[in-house]
Amino acid sequence: MTLDGDHTDSINPDSTGSRTRLRVEGVSKSFRNVDALSDVSIEIGTGEVVGLVGENGAGKSTLLKILTGIHEPDGGRITLDGEPATISGPRDAAERGIAIVKQEQDVIPNLTGYENLYLGRIPDFSRGGVVNSDRMRKEAQQVVDELGMDLDVSKPVSSYSFDNRQMLEVAKAFSESIHTDHPIILLDEPTAGLDEGGRELLFDRIDELRDRASFVFVSHELEEVLEISDRIYVLKDGKLVRELPAAEASESILQRAMVGRETADEYYRTNRQRTVDTDTEPVLQATNIELDDSVDSVSFELYDGEIFGVVGVEGCGKSELGRVLCGADAPDSGQIHVDGDPIEPGALFRMVDAGVGYIPKDRKSEGLLLYQSLRANVSLPSIGTDLVSDDLPVVGTLFSLVDRDKENRLSERAIEELNIRAPGVEALVHQLSGGNQQKVVLSKWLMRQTDILVLDNVTRGIDVAAKEEVYRVCRELADQGVSLVFIGDELPEVIGMSNRIGVMKKGRLVDVVDAPPENKPSEEELIREMI
Amino acid sequence: MAERTTEGTVSEWIEEVRENRGRQDWLIDLGPFALLALLLIGFSIASPVFLTYSNLVDNVLQNSIILLMVSLAGTFPILQQSIDLSIESLVGVTGVIAALLISDYGLGVSALLVAVLAGAVLGTLNGVVFAKLKIPSFLVTLGSLSILSGSALLVTGGTSIPYRNPVVREVATGSAIPSIPNLVVWGVVVYLLMTFVAFKTPFGRYCYALGENEAVADLSGVKVDRYKIGAFAVSGLLCGIAGALLTARTASAAAGMGTGLLLQSIAAIVMGGTALTGGVGGPHRTILGVLVIGVLANGMNLIGIQSFVQDIVLGFVVIIAVAMSMDRRKIDIVK
Repeated sequence: MTLDGDHTDSINPDSTGSRTRLRVEGVSKSFRNVDALSDVSIEIGTGEVVGLVGENGAGKSTLLKILTGIHEPDGGRITLDGEPATISGPRDAAERGIAIVKQEQDVIPNLTGYENLYLGRIPDFSRGGVVNSDRMRKEAQQVVDELGMDLDVSKPVSSYSFDNRQMLEVAKAFSESIHTDHPIILLDEPTAGLDEGGRELLFDRIDELRDRASFVFVSHELEEVLEISDRIYVLKDGKLVRELPAAEASESILQRAMVGRETADEYYRTNRQRTVDTDTEPVLQATNIELDDSVDSVSFELYDGEIFGVVGVEGCGKSELGRVLCGADAPDSGQIHVDGDPIEPGALFRMVDAGVGYIPKDRKSEGLLLYQSLRANVSLPSIGTDLVSDDLPVVGTLFSLVDRDKENRLSERAIEELNIRAPGVEALVHQLSGGNQQKVVLSKWLMRQTDILVLDNVTRGIDVAAKEEVYRVCRELADQGVSLVFIGDELPEVIGMSNRIGVMKKGRLVDVVDAPPENKPSEEELIREMI
Repeated sequence: MAERTTEGTVSEWIEEVRENRGRQDWLIDLGPFALLALLLIGFSIASPVFLTYSNLVDNVLQNSIILLMVSLAGTFPILQQSIDLSIESLVGVTGVIAALLISDYGLGVSALLVAVLAGAVLGTLNGVVFAKLKIPSFLVTLGSLSILSGSALLVTGGTSIPYRNPVVREVATGSAIPSIPNLVVWGVVVYLLMTFVAFKTPFGRYCYALGENEAVADLSGVKVDRYKIGAFAVSGLLCGIAGALLTARTASAAAGMGTGLLLQSIAAIVMGGTALTGGVGGPHRTILGVLVIGVLANGMNLIGIQSFVQDIVLGFVVIIAVAMSMDRRKIDIVK
């Protein structure tokens, strides 16, 4: 075990009267043969907001899990206020003042705010097996009020907005650790899914609570990390590669440290954007699509090899439109033509047969068979087609069978073409990193030779390097004449990638903006139309 | 280009697989073999009769075939994370149909075919109600369990239906291949066929996908309902075969002749490695569970353990097998 790594001689931000609250010294952790963390040392002072960045698999989550006692480190040590500490689990961590706000919201919607806040501690509020709800509610309201949050804890969480649920999570982390002198709140991608307003609210709270607590802020959004942090640690492949004050950092410095190279100006490969001939027959034509309250008479055309971006604020109906286009949901009215032929809506397999593929927003619950092999995932849409079919000797093509060799070759080609980092075709998908998982989702449709792809936030939650490769794949697809509907929350990405951008607002397609490489619209232009 | 990738990655992959396998994976994969071996050794020592050809083939194997059919039937719905609880009554109903057709209408072997078809139709009905009306499969099949066994009792008046037809009996009790009972041949044929179906047909492959995550399969363009119905149709078909063979073997049929098969089959399926959470295992493994139960029952009979105690043992076996196989998904690589 190495206690003196190369980075243990770290800076102590003592000038502001802050003292070191938590010190991680030369901590290592490996899972079987994979080094998830090697010899990492960090420090967190009182009143500090420490940013923690790195690609997927860099070791951020592992570090957080060690701090909350979910994993035991293989080597190194942790000291709290100078005292060596062995954290035995989340509860123990909370008792020592370390609490976490997780990426996924851990709230139970049908319980009230105060029940959620004290979920693990309900016995503390009961006597003889009877819960004193009044006391629980009052104390919870007090906690929330003290934190300056505008929440009514007596209401069920299902009535809370997404942002308020996240606030409740923060309050919960606080309430668990508030009894200690100076809690450390670990924020694991707390802004994922928050809109602009919610993010501001969260950041305001963090700012106000600085003198009472320390924060570790983990996010893929470098801009946010720069905004909120005092100091930033950069992890790469389980090692600490950089530590610097936020004031000296910039997105490109961080990105270079994370990826080991500077992100090219041609991140989106705009130079490779094709010019699309709109005089031809559109490959996909949507006419007056209506769906409940979410999509309101949307019409547009998609041309051969085009990337058609769709943007809009949360709830504008862009995801719902995507689901209608791919056939997952049936519209109340409207027509979809593919290559000029009307397709009876509402059945995904008909769209698939017509050559339309769909990449859902949530790859884990909708895109992948997590506990099955890469091969089974890649070939899933292709089963029953000539691509992987095998004939019986006598009856010939009467039954379409699955040919394992063809499947293997298909998957090997996918690994090669998309540069998927996987030990082999039989690797289980849940063992791959997020970026590689998303490539598997893409390859499902690539391998099926789909002509039209509907992508809903295709780069969500994957790291910079994987994003770049996804962009590359999209460009190559467009070159091959595949047309893409590119639905996205991240404006720079949609602007960079698209030939034209459809702006949605309250279910309507309010404008379609041209986005040629030499004259891309600005984010402001689009935002003005979105709100 | 393929050579380049295979040479390097295959060995790496084997390495990786070895590393990523938890103790439980090994337990699930090799556990049934180990258990079977243990039982075989144990009973061979405990009873001199156990390890004889006539005991192993005539008793263990022959008695296991009906359970094998029914367990293979149940495997497909479970693979899809559904369940077919109506298999006992399907066996009863199809058996009664066969016996009535032979005794009252003078049909021969064709009566067995009708019974198999009837099983397929009834299974399809289960599937249609489950998939189209979106009612949980355990409720649909619990309902049809009651409906079917009630109907069979109504028709038979609660008595057994005997028949005289040596040709029909020959289907199950004869030995077309010398010293191998026909029943065993049927078992092997159906077993191989179902293994083929699971691995080589789109239906089989979709069963795994549906059991793992139906939304993913749906968004990949799989005609989900069709394959859900298909699983219950196959289940019904195999129960029909079980009913027909049982009728042929015993020269009679009764509404309740499938009683007890449900629990045993679930035990066999789960012990074989098909988790109730779906997506893993398959019919090729179910046979292991069937053999374990067959050997266990035979061995316990030979050493004189009374049948009530056997029931108790079986109950424990089911619970332990489920507990062992359920946890698997919680194992995850964390980075």
